[in-house]
Amino acid sequence: MTEPSSVDATLRALLADVLGLGENRAGALTHDSGLFGALPEFDSMAVATVLTEMEDRLGILIDDDEIDGEIFETYGNLLAFSLRKVTD
Amino acid sequence: MATAAPEHILHITPAGSPRATILFVPPLFEEANRSRRTLVLAMRALAADGFATLLPDLPGQNESLVPLEQVDLAIWQNVLADAAATIDGPLIIASLRGGALIDHHAKAAAWWRLAPVGGASLLRTLMRARVAADREGSVTSSLDSLQAEAATAPLLLAGNKLSPAMIAQLGAAEIHPVAPFRTVTLGSGADAVAGTPLWLRAEPGEDATMAAAIAADISAWSTTCGIS
Repeated sequence: MTEPSSVDATLRALLADVLGLGENRAGALTHDSGLFGALPEFDSMAVATVLTEMEDRLGILIDDDEIDGEIFETYGNLLAFSLRKVTD
Repeated sequence: MATAAPEHILHITPAGSPRATILFVPPLFEEANRSRRTLVLAMRALAADGFATLLPDLPGQNESLVPLEQVDLAIWQNVLADAAATIDGPLIIASLRGGALIDHHAKAAAWWRLAPVGGASLLRTLMRARVAADREGSVTSSLDSLQAEAATAPLLLAGNKLSPAMIAQLGAAEIHPVAPFRTVTLGSGADAVAGTPLWLRAEPGEDATMAAAIAADISAWSTTCGIS
């Protein structure tokens, strides 16, 4: 189980790895930064890869029915979802 | 399987007689494309260091003419065992990611594995990509519904048409023990090479530094095993 305080850093590193954002772009993501639909790299395969990597790196399990489009709308939504999962 | 046409094998060899041969087993499916360029850079570095290197196409992958839905992990394991059996002199098998799921039927002097991954994890990602793509097209599917569908018919997952046998084998595939072997992860420390997980990238990249680190680690492992 990952500590809540490190979830933000883990998530940024993960997005940098999957989307090839580089440290600077990943570090500059804000709560309002758009992901799916806003970043061209963020296609359905990237969504799938991000979910599996979130499970591995955050030590969580994500069910089908927990995933809706909103989670990937913004970085803030994805972070909030991740924080909820690690503190569950 | 359809016709048993020989698959393409990329050879990169040193000028003189090789110290040993490194047979690379690529990652599976899309991960192979994302890693290939860096893998080939590592092969060039190893050849410059005196090793013969081979990167075979698995049937149904890369340039292969065999339809992917006609192959499964058991076939790939046998193909690699056959490829290994044709090699003279000491052989090291170097597998990346899902390649480590199919490298244990071959006979070798040593194994080297980078970031090995379980088959269930690879399958989960492929199925999720399908669910996400379905959702964009307003089709409702789930991991459970796809799993049920895959019991009787081939399933198209992120562009890969996989047979029921392939999906069943992937779901259960784990890394098998071999000896002697070295497992290397990405990161820092004694059992890691520095680099980024290019096999996860949405768009292919390359990493020359990582390729050099892979080559150096395999070369050192060869020496540790007393091969050369």
